[in-house]
Amino acid sequence: MPFARAQVARARWRRSAVLTGTLYLMPAALLTGVFIYWPLVASLVLSFHEWNLVSPTWTPVGWQNYIELFASRPFWLAVVNTGKAAAALTLLAVLIPMALAAMVLRVSPQIRNLYRVVLFSPSVISMAIACAVWLWIYHPLYGVLNTVLRLVGIEGPRWLSSGDWAIWGIINVTVWKSLGYNFVLFIAGLLMIPSEMQEAARVDGATEWQAFRHVTFPLLAPTTLFVFLTTFILAPQNLFVPTQILTHGGPNEASNNLGYLVYQLGFEYFRAGYASAAAMVTFLLFLGLTALQFYLAERRIHYES
Amino acid sequence: MHWRKMGRRFLFTLALGASLVALPAPGWAASPVTIEYWHINSPTFGGPALKELVSRFEAKHPDVKVAEKFQPGVYTGLMQQLQVALAAKRPPAVAQIGYNLLAYAAGQFPHVILDKYRQSDPAFFKGIPDNIMALGQFSGVQHGIPFGVSTPVLYYNADLFKAAGLNPDQPPQTWDDVQRMGQAIKQKTGKFAIYLQQPNDDWMEQTLIWGNGGRPLSEDGKRVGWDSPQAIEAFQMWQDMANKSKLAANMTWEEGIQAFLSGHVAMCITTIGRQEHMRKNANNFQVRTAPVPRFGNKALATATGGNALIIFATDPAQERAAWEWIKYLLSPEGATIWTKGTGYLPPRAEIASDPTYLKPFFDENPLMQASLATFPYAKPWVSFPGPRGLEITKIFIKAREETLEGKRPAEAILKETAQQANALLPR
Repeated sequence: MPFARAQVARARWRRSAVLTGTLYLMPAALLTGVFIYWPLVASLVLSFHEWNLVSPTWTPVGWQNYIELFASRPFWLAVVNTGKAAAALTLLAVLIPMALAAMVLRVSPQIRNLYRVVLFSPSVISMAIACAVWLWIYHPLYGVLNTVLRLVGIEGPRWLSSGDWAIWGIINVTVWKSLGYNFVLFIAGLLMIPSEMQEAARVDGATEWQAFRHVTFPLLAPTTLFVFLTTFILAPQNLFVPTQILTHGGPNEASNNLGYLVYQLGFEYFRAGYASAAAMVTFLLFLGLTALQFYLAERRIHYES
Repeated sequence: MHWRKMGRRFLFTLALGASLVALPAPGWAASPVTIEYWHINSPTFGGPALKELVSRFEAKHPDVKVAEKFQPGVYTGLMQQLQVALAAKRPPAVAQIGYNLLAYAAGQFPHVILDKYRQSDPAFFKGIPDNIMALGQFSGVQHGIPFGVSTPVLYYNADLFKAAGLNPDQPPQTWDDVQRMGQAIKQKTGKFAIYLQQPNDDWMEQTLIWGNGGRPLSEDGKRVGWDSPQAIEAFQMWQDMANKSKLAANMTWEEGIQAFLSGHVAMCITTIGRQEHMRKNANNFQVRTAPVPRFGNKALATATGGNALIIFATDPAQERAAWEWIKYLLSPEGATIWTKGTGYLPPRAEIASDPTYLKPFFDENPLMQASLATFPYAKPWVSFPGPRGLEITKIFIKAREETLEGKRPAEAILKETAQQANALLPR
């Protein structure tokens, strides 16, 4: 029967298409599987064990790692500091680049490019080198920052060795580092907004601020959400290098944060299971917060299609 | 069918990749024996000296090849790589283990106990002073051979001393001197008197405890010693200098060293290993050294920095070759090259005054003299025992940081943190 034969042929074709598709997917799937999902699962399993990275056996300890973690002072300090950092980053590293991008687009094109280069440059410098530069900017006795503050009559704090300020010293470097990239994203976002809308608003007599507030800002919302989410999700990772180079989480845990804590537990104390538990909690915490942000933001954003 | 061909090619690629990853390094036992030597000697810190040591050793031992491998991140970085290599069952034959990590490595990593060589090589063991040999021991067992030996010293800015009306030929000998001279420096020049090093380790803190007659760890290893009256007194002194008299600068390590080199701090306590760096980078002033200040009339005592060599080889031929390599590194010839190349003290004291070995070097480097004078008083840099030892060190570092913040008296901080640490020591 021709019908049945056609069906068999179609089924065969479909099967081979599925196989071909699967094979095409394999390289990417294998790589993400091996380097992202498998470690995630392994880390979850490891978080219920004790292991010093050398011993041939993983000793099962049940929920002990989690119990110890929730009772430890460094963990809660790290949570608070990461919260501070995430809040500061999502505020400063989103609002400042947005304002800068809006302003830079108003200056003449020649100067605009100069601004773009200058503002983007922190993104190109490696974080380790940037930290070395900040080390001198922050120097309490003769660093640029405190010298300038002294000119206006303020005795600046010890940015890296004072318990009250160290975390802000770290956050500031991270904000500075992510400014340039977010700035470029906002430039791109702003350029995508059709200029007729602006013009229409101006014709209707809107002031510069009103035009921004009621036309540009809402139309920029998809870009803002993207910048906001990436900055937030990357916050615990971006804090790591400055913490490692500038303060080691000190003084007395004052600048510790979840990204650095996981490293410290795993590779300074060699407690892989305990570090995995901390990593799992960090993962779940950020997964939850990101999902919440998505949920809240999605409902308020207007996509221009 | 093209997908089948593709699949085959894909499988082949996979198999090839897997085999490349899994391919074991050829481990022929036939001569010559190649041993891996892991070290922290970058090109600016002893690297060239090490290359010379390797070529001279290989010339003397044609049956052994030394594959030296630099590990970044100093001793902690080396430990991290070592963890990975041990987990993969491919450890180096010999590695430099920092004294601060020695108890952890000796307790957690499989390695060769070296006491068996006392019978076969008595001369080797006799050549090294007991207080130095003890740096590689735990409970009387020789886990490693002390190789890098360094002491803290007091660097001082002779020009700032003169500007403060002090005699730079008479550096402070005691902490009372430091405070008295420090006041003069502060009043006459407006600079900080002193910076005690504050890196991410507890070398300075242990030096203060030893110096005031205490012990960083009780002799039975069951209690940390930083809540002893001697330790509390020393820490309170440091806290007062940082917060009350404002004689001591409280800043991160890099900041502190830079503040000294740029002439903003008159004295600085750190390792003799930095002498060349200090001499070359002192900004328009003469840098000199003196032994670390003493507590009143108590004897000088400092924690010893550096590393011990531990044998991780499991194959007997490799182990023998590794032992020969260690013996060469500590021979008068080897130790001479090593000291010249790094500024570490020679583990054998006698070659320092021997004209064929190190006398010319010490004559040319007067900054080394203070360290040489400290050598007989070198105490171990205690590495806390047990699987949680590294955390105990961190608790101690945090206790120093809190002490210098000055919000609570040293006694409260030290007692509380000592209790936390004691709970982590093996029972």
